[in-house]
Amino acid sequence: MLLLTSSRDALLAPLQSVSGIVEKRHTLPILSNVLIEKLGDTLTLLATDIEIQITTHQISQGGGEDASITVGARKLQDILRALPDGEVSLLLDDKRLTLKAGKSRYNLQTLPAADYPRMQLNTGESLTLRLPQKDFRRQLAQVAYAMAAQDIRYYLNGLLMQVMGTELRLVATDGHRLALSSNTLEEEFQKTEVILPRKTVLELTRQLADSDDPVEIVITGNQACFRFGPIELITKLIDGKFPDYERVIPQGNPKLVTVHRASLLSALQRAAILTNEKFRGLRVVLEAGLLRIISSNAEQEEAQEELEISYSGDSLELGFNVTYLLDVLNNVVTDTVEIHLNEPMSSALFTLPGNEQFKAVVMPMRI
Amino acid sequence: MPRRRIAHLDMDAFYASVELLRYPQLRGQPVVIGGRSVDAPRQTGDGNWHYARLRDYVGRGVITTATYEARALGVGSAMGIMKAARLAPNAVLLPVDFDAYRHYSRLFKAAVRAIAPLIEDRGIDEIYLDLTELPGEARALGQSLKDAVRAATGLSCSIGISPNKLLAKICSDLEKPDGLTVLEMDEIPARIWPLPVRKVNGIGPKAEEKLAALGIHNIGELAACSPWWLQEHFGSNYGGWLHEAAHGRDQRPVVTYSEPKSVSRETTFERDLHARTDRNQLSEIFTRLCQRVAGDLERKGVLGRTIGIKLRYEDFSTVTRDLSLPEATADAGMIRRAAGECLKRVELGKRLRLLGVRVSQLESRSQQNSTGPQPGEQAGLPF
Repeated sequence: MLLLTSSRDALLAPLQSVSGIVEKRHTLPILSNVLIEKLGDTLTLLATDIEIQITTHQISQGGGEDASITVGARKLQDILRALPDGEVSLLLDDKRLTLKAGKSRYNLQTLPAADYPRMQLNTGESLTLRLPQKDFRRQLAQVAYAMAAQDIRYYLNGLLMQVMGTELRLVATDGHRLALSSNTLEEEFQKTEVILPRKTVLELTRQLADSDDPVEIVITGNQACFRFGPIELITKLIDGKFPDYERVIPQGNPKLVTVHRASLLSALQRAAILTNEKFRGLRVVLEAGLLRIISSNAEQEEAQEELEISYSGDSLELGFNVTYLLDVLNNVVTDTVEIHLNEPMSSALFTLPGNEQFKAVVMPMRI
Repeated sequence: MPRRRIAHLDMDAFYASVELLRYPQLRGQPVVIGGRSVDAPRQTGDGNWHYARLRDYVGRGVITTATYEARALGVGSAMGIMKAARLAPNAVLLPVDFDAYRHYSRLFKAAVRAIAPLIEDRGIDEIYLDLTELPGEARALGQSLKDAVRAATGLSCSIGISPNKLLAKICSDLEKPDGLTVLEMDEIPARIWPLPVRKVNGIGPKAEEKLAALGIHNIGELAACSPWWLQEHFGSNYGGWLHEAAHGRDQRPVVTYSEPKSVSRETTFERDLHARTDRNQLSEIFTRLCQRVAGDLERKGVLGRTIGIKLRYEDFSTVTRDLSLPEATADAGMIRRAAGECLKRVELGKRLRLLGVRVSQLESRSQQNSTGPQPGEQAGLPF
């Protein structure tokens, strides 16, 4: 029975969209599969890891009969990727899925679609907002790096999404640094806040397009749903209380340094080569008109970089994990950045000139 | 620096010997320790004792200690009890009673300490002693230590006395049981070099195998190898150490006090368990292990920052995972959550035979309150 005929790319693209969340290891074998559903001329692909579900819908002109089946996502993707571009047919016979392309023929094991765990979006009270994909994508990029990865404070292994009036604010922190990015929405909403899991954030960063096309965000109960292009992503939310981040954003740090972003970035990248691999610490020395960066490693090798800056205050020396500084500088796009400093062991605030919508806070390191 | 005089004292078949104090009627018979409490001897109505025999054992336990009579039949520690039963079906099986062993351990160490106060604790049944400052001839000193141990516990031990820990450890094994061996540096060629390389503490089965492949079987052959050749084959550190060890050179001091590095608890299940089908049972065991580790931390007055798990699968492959907390803890709930996080990073498709929980990067409770950030320490956001 013919399921569908399509070009290789028309099948591979949606498959790649959904299969990124398929985990390599899990307790349920069916979770390594992707669900393929053909209904009329709509082809639906769906994958889930129980926490996140991604679905793509597209029009399939390839004819074929209605059916649904699940098959190993990674294998199907690997086969399609290795085939030359051209026409591909999927045929379903009893419990086997056959993929035909030119003179290639692959028989794959399947599991019944009825056994596939599907997430349903909660019904009930919900909030729906829309904004251009590229705006949301940029906002995510500005903060995602500051998320914790495997912290016992599970609510930090994600990103706080706050809707307040017409403001959409994203905040991430791993307890050592914090990043905040806000954006203005066209409508006004009541205050809502949720924590998106880390994996969801990484998946969105990967899939959102740099375009003016909208992304629709629905928040309902313990779920959020993101719809953009042919993709629908449903995710569970992290149930926890995000820390009160406002209190760790320093107010009125007196020492303001304005510095050319790309110059500081490349100086730090060079100096990073000679930092201790474990601590990644380097010293930043501030003098009138001059910023010095000094690093050294366990072999007593030493790097020194100097940058001319606009600064006229007292001199100051402090230590940082260079990774944290690089993350901030790598994920903003302005020519200059402003660094607000205070004492050697107090936090540094990074802002962008004339822009109230981005803030990053980095705690120092004792060197 | 005066020439050092170091002793290694090793209790003879310790667990088994303690059990024989309790059941003296078993003396002279093959006895192994490693059973469960159901294997405890029972006195029947007519006053006779009934003992569990190896041949009746069904289970997965391993032997912790065997009497010398049992060892003569080829039975040894770490051997599976079912396997041992094939070698010595009539040997008596006794349950493990750690409380009793700890009690006798304290007794013998106290007796030794009264004579030689510089003691390095190497576990429940062995210690190193620094006798350098003590008056008297080595052999007489060794005999008085042995007498003191016997008077305090009724147990025998073996002692090696030599200029360093490495040689002392080899010597305590030379005349076991109830041995006393004194060795000077000039006796190394005659008494140490003929021994197989495995007698050196630090040469394990892997190194032994590699050495054998290179044609080196005894310590003398090892001593004849040039240091650079050994370093070529075993790396600069281990190769260099092999050379020093073969010549009986060892500068390590007797460390009389050491902080615990980690606290751990583990358990082997009665039958292999599966993460999915035995989820509740596993979860209960897991929680209990965390509670026991937390109790250990509490008793030792320490907190730990790194929480780790250990899993052994049905095929005996073992994996460990750990993660570090932002702050040290001794809280069972915290440890359970962290260990739970670790568990998400391992494969749970195969059946499990062992689960363990370990807490390391320990710090004392007082230290936790008093010190500020150390160099290289990343400051945290003041939430």
